[in-house]
Amino acid sequence: MKLRRLGLTAASSILVITGAVTAATTASSSAAPLKSVTFAYDFPGPDFELIPVVVAEDRGYFKAHGLSVKVDFPTNTSSTTQFLTTGTAQFGFITTTDMAVAVNVGAPLLSVANYSMRNNWALFAKPGVSLQAKTLHKTLLGKRIFSYGDTWTEAMLPFVLRYAHLTTSQVKIITNPTANDLTYLLAGKVDFSTSTTNYELPGFAGSHVKGKLSQLLGTQAGAPNIPIWVYAVTKSYAQSNPGTVKAFLAAILEATKWAAGHQVAAAKDFDKAYPKSGYTNAYNALGWKLTVPFLTNAQHRYFTQTNAQWSTLTSALKGIKLITKVAAPSSYYTNKYQPAQ
Amino acid sequence: MRRRVLLNVGVPILSLLIVLGVWQLIVVGGHVASYIAPRPREAITSVTSQWSTLWPLILGTIRETIYGYLIGAVLGFALGVVMAKIPVVQRLVYPVILVSQAVPVIALAPVLVIILGFGIVPKIVIVTWIVFFPVTVNVLDGLGHVDPDLKNLARVYGASRWRTFVQIEVPASTTPLFSGLKIGAIYAVTGAIIGELAASEGNSLALYQEHANSNLNTAAVYGTTIVMTLIGIAWFLLVVGLEVWSTPWQRRSVARRRWRRGADGAAR
Amino acid sequence: MPTTLLELREVGKVFGDTVALAPTSLAIEEGSFVAIVGPSGCGKSTMFNVIAGLLRPDGGEVALRGATITASTGHVGYMLQKDLLVPWRTVEDNITMATRLTRRVTDEDRAEARRVARQYGLGEFLRHYPSALSGGMRQRVAFMRTLVTHQELLLLDEPFGALDAQTRLEMQEWLLQVWKDTGRTVLFITHDVDESIFLSDRIVVMSPRPGRVVADLANPLSRPRGIHTLLEPEFIALKAQVLGLLHGGDA
Repeated sequence: MKLRRLGLTAASSILVITGAVTAATTASSSAAPLKSVTFAYDFPGPDFELIPVVVAEDRGYFKAHGLSVKVDFPTNTSSTTQFLTTGTAQFGFITTTDMAVAVNVGAPLLSVANYSMRNNWALFAKPGVSLQAKTLHKTLLGKRIFSYGDTWTEAMLPFVLRYAHLTTSQVKIITNPTANDLTYLLAGKVDFSTSTTNYELPGFAGSHVKGKLSQLLGTQAGAPNIPIWVYAVTKSYAQSNPGTVKAFLAAILEATKWAAGHQVAAAKDFDKAYPKSGYTNAYNALGWKLTVPFLTNAQHRYFTQTNAQWSTLTSALKGIKLITKVAAPSSYYTNKYQPAQ
Repeated sequence: MRRRVLLNVGVPILSLLIVLGVWQLIVVGGHVASYIAPRPREAITSVTSQWSTLWPLILGTIRETIYGYLIGAVLGFALGVVMAKIPVVQRLVYPVILVSQAVPVIALAPVLVIILGFGIVPKIVIVTWIVFFPVTVNVLDGLGHVDPDLKNLARVYGASRWRTFVQIEVPASTTPLFSGLKIGAIYAVTGAIIGELAASEGNSLALYQEHANSNLNTAAVYGTTIVMTLIGIAWFLLVVGLEVWSTPWQRRSVARRRWRRGADGAAR
Repeated sequence: MPTTLLELREVGKVFGDTVALAPTSLAIEEGSFVAIVGPSGCGKSTMFNVIAGLLRPDGGEVALRGATITASTGHVGYMLQKDLLVPWRTVEDNITMATRLTRRVTDEDRAEARRVARQYGLGEFLRHYPSALSGGMRQRVAFMRTLVTHQELLLLDEPFGALDAQTRLEMQEWLLQVWKDTGRTVLFITHDVDESIFLSDRIVVMSPRPGRVVADLANPLSRPRGIHTLLEPEFIALKAQVLGLLHGGDA
């Protein structure tokens, strides 16, 4: 899944990994020996969605729960699941679609907590372009829509097209896993881009293009309102190390709450941990600010997964043949390692 | 002769079989899950079972490779000749083409797409970009190393520059020219794949692989990698075949009659 | 009265501070075999390159049958110690190479190449590539290539210099045979005194610093020549004279 503002090169991701190692080693040792675990992010380089982990490390939440966490970055966006199954990492940050796909091919993964609670995936257009749910058919017909080719966009786009009474042959889908969708959009090479609001809007702000980016949330045009990102482990790791999983989630919960309450400071923590991330503080701060509202559900709770989110997602994925079989929701997730809220 | 065929064909096939065998042993012996590393058979089946989907994509990649390669080879040759013949041009152009090759093609690809769109053109440009350089450098080198006595001899005979070029300098540069063409052939497919990854309208072999990768269909990732490799090897072998066909003097001591005719035909 | 084929009038060449060839005059008679002998640096190759038109002399004039050919190519046959056969052409196509460099090769050109090759013992090798030939054979092909240019004047610059002694003697006898058959005029550079005497009607002795002609000797040895020639008293006497001229310059 690459709903990201890119601009990353191989060289900068190397710099970034060096930063991660530094961040991991700055935690001083406490009296009790810390349990060392590796956390694999979902993207080759760090960005603001990593803030809960950064805060948990920098503000001592991991240490307080007896953990020393090293952050690893995958070579590409599907290697995170492989890091988990091969034991390279114990904890992973992945999309729910990646989770469903992994379980479908027999990878024994388990989602232990939602990262975000709702679907902030959206269609975007240049400022001034009208993007309304009720006129979507006319707006999209024959137009070029950018996609990173990630499983989330592959899963969501059919909902929107169906809602607009369009088939895939009635639009031109431009797929590019490596480029920056905003560049194409603002250069007029595509008419619409697809991304999540927390990434697209800070990217647009950084482009200094006047006006307001037009957007239409997928959920306003037929897409299901389900979580995008989750924390995952392997089933066997959870069974043998329930205490570690619980400690990790407890630390993350405290850090997330702190970061939600101290957004400016949290973004600065991120800049300090990853000074060479390639992103500006303004980007990180705005990105985090736009992420926070999606972290809690209607009951203001973090993490809690539901049967409905998994069955909605997996039926949708089976509908577009991304997975071959829909398993029981319980084979994808559990809430039992989460701390009380 | 039979021994040579055995060495030239048998040994490479054997080495490939050993690679497949070791692959199979590691995957089966190590109980590696197929979403991490598939068995060779699964990789091959992932291609054959999706052949009707893959074949048009493979054709697309081949088309980009061929167009880009031919343009790159012709451009590279022409550039090498012009640079060898006009020293001012060489001084002017050489730094530019060096810089062009120092630019990482992966970084270049999105830029080209912004300018040239999502069709076949940026892919062809990338392949051309990769292919022309070894050809130019080798042609330049080859032309620079033609025996000056031979060129003097041609002058004494009253040969024009054009005839000296066609009859002496070009054939004398065939070995370096084909070195450049062979290096280009190996990298051409890589260029096409980079171009495909940089953006496509509709599907492409590289995107198919990218999708397989994000869907943890590792067998298809391996399978498409094999397909891409085979396209590269096939193209390389084609160029080697062309070299063998066009330079009989490097292997034979006596010309075939048919070839002698061809040589004179080319002289006209 | 024999006709003068080639005439050098006060031809000289300076490279930087080095006088490669002091102003030199020389006349070569039609049909003669003139050897030019001298140590390296005596200007004999510079003289050849001026005659061939590859070098423009600093002064003077080169005339062929009275017409000036100064600094103009395409008027003489030319052959070096390096055979300069092109590896991508067969023997037959190498023989016609000079023609191919100026115009389209005709069936007549090919027929002539084959005839010359057969006449001088290379008939079986017409379709061979040069890589399959021995050094002596390659030099013969190179000479045939020079021959079929139909130039009256052949400039041979140490053509047998790279061959072993046995092959060299064979090639010398062979060359004399071809010369007799074809009646061309030969200007033959060598640093080998024996070779210059064995082959020529006339010996031009040159010396270095500056490169110049120091003697122009008539060769009284009768023809046809063979191994016996090398033992004749005139041969020995002439050899002593040439050696004296060459080494006397150093004394």
